[in-house]
Amino acid sequence: MPTRRNALKNIVAGTVTGAGIMSISEVFAKNKAVLGTKLNGKINHSVCKWCYGKIPLDSFAQECKKIGITSIELLGPEDWPTLKKYGLTCALPNGAGMGIEKGFNDPALHDELVKSYEDIFPKLKEAGYKTVICFSGNRRGMSDYDGMRNCAIGLRRLMPSAEKYGITMIMELLNSKVNHRDYMCDHTAWGAGLCEMVGSENFKLLYDIYHMSIMEGDVIATIKQYYKYIGHYHTGGVPGRAEIDETQELYYPAIMKAIVETGFNGFVAQEFIPKREPLASLKQCVGICDIA
Amino acid sequence: MKSLSNRRKALKSMAAAAGLGTFSSSLAGAFAASQKALGPQLNGKINHSVCKWCYSKIPLDTFAQECKKIGLTSIELLGPEEWPVIQKYGLTCALPWGEGLTRSIDKGFNDPKNHEELIKGFEDVIPKVRAAGYDKIICFSGNRRGMSDYDGIRNCAEGIRKLIPTCEKHNVTLVMELLNSKVNHKDYMCDRTEWGAALCEAVGSEKFKLLYDIYHMQIQEGDVVATIKKYHKYIAHYHTGGVPGRHEIDETQELYYPAIMQAIVETGYKGFVGQEFIPSRGDDLASLKQGVTICDIA
Repeated sequence: MPTRRNALKNIVAGTVTGAGIMSISEVFAKNKAVLGTKLNGKINHSVCKWCYGKIPLDSFAQECKKIGITSIELLGPEDWPTLKKYGLTCALPNGAGMGIEKGFNDPALHDELVKSYEDIFPKLKEAGYKTVICFSGNRRGMSDYDGMRNCAIGLRRLMPSAEKYGITMIMELLNSKVNHRDYMCDHTAWGAGLCEMVGSENFKLLYDIYHMSIMEGDVIATIKQYYKYIGHYHTGGVPGRAEIDETQELYYPAIMKAIVETGFNGFVAQEFIPKREPLASLKQCVGICDIA
Repeated sequence: MKSLSNRRKALKSMAAAAGLGTFSSSLAGAFAASQKALGPQLNGKINHSVCKWCYSKIPLDTFAQECKKIGLTSIELLGPEEWPVIQKYGLTCALPWGEGLTRSIDKGFNDPKNHEELIKGFEDVIPKVRAAGYDKIICFSGNRRGMSDYDGIRNCAEGIRKLIPTCEKHNVTLVMELLNSKVNHKDYMCDRTEWGAALCEAVGSEKFKLLYDIYHMQIQEGDVVATIKKYHKYIAHYHTGGVPGRHEIDETQELYYPAIMQAIVETGYKGFVGQEFIPSRGDDLASLKQGVTICDIA
């Protein structure tokens, strides 16, 4: 092990001295030669199943294992046993709530939302999972402050139970410009404000790099400023949400490095929609994020 | 010419081979190979310029010679007194600037009180720009100082329109820079591409366009490629810079510049891309060469 790690370090050090941007494909090819499918361990890799809709979960799980992915996410209780068969976790389960557009910013939905999450917390705990996704809902003319206040009032009702079962509710930041028009939780500063208002470590944000780069840019500085409120990350190529490689504008290895430097121990989930052969793309993009 | 075309062919096959790699195409490999084939010759899809102020320790004379070696054909953000120096070396100035208030960032066209002095300043320098063979000059909106977006557009348009006949006469385009108001230029007004595009429509002349600074706009609004595709007809110039930090545009920062350059080329852009990062590694010229290389897509 130490020898392989050292060999890897030398490969990386060697490329940095070259001219131009670090040659990722070379680094990756050499890494593969030294390490096989072994990944570097700085990033915990997860993937969102919905981007691979055509592949049955059973075979997808086996393929993910081969790549070195340890989690498949955005899956509900019915799919968790399949993951367990293959020793995979679910870094961010779903299975509660009323969808993206109907969320905690609408007080009329609070009773139903609270019941739904109260139902799933024990199941999550039993499955050994520690998070669950949630959403703000659409704005529908509501001010930022009213939305934040409404969300906090609803979420605070759930915090005692979330704490009891050891579950962190994770609200997703989405762009409201291209994909989710009128979605409320569309700025990191707003999400961080909501975290303070809820006032519990059991409520955090999902910083989706694709969505936030479209909505506000300045990815690394934003992560550095707000990381204590962030419990999960998603990826995706900008623009277009396809592969996160040289066909799009973000340089993901630098973003992954910034995430690691914040001390993040959670998962980074690939959430791009493959344009090419899906499993080859998934492997490629895990490789791009798997910084040494 | 024959040998150049052979060298170009060699380069093309190298780039194609690099493109077949599994990953973010092997840029360093492709670059090393193309360097061997072409020497300092660049690919010609991007016209490379650089902002002198980022290399303040290097005298302009020396800097001009070094730029030529790298393959840059322009040094920019220079005033009339500096133009003769770069002309000695056959370099152009893709984006000149004037003097006094015309070069001020925080006092600009959005305040009607500045109009008289700005118009006089630009009326004075525009013929000189033309005489030097240049076709652009930079300008700024000024700071907001509590002004609404709409009032700012109206004020800017009223001032700028008075200069358009002179711009047309001398074939010089006024180029207003988009800057972030979040980190570097707090309160600067022209800080969103869509605001700048609306101002272009309000001015209503091809002689007024925007400088889309990729560094500033990634900090302020993100979504670089989609924004360029949407608003390219209003954009007459581009600047670069690493995000965050405004240093080298390489693997130390979050933007993948080759993909952005590809998008710019695809809009049909024929102007210049000016490197405007602040070198952080000690060898400023090596950093400049690297930045040009990263943007010099095949």
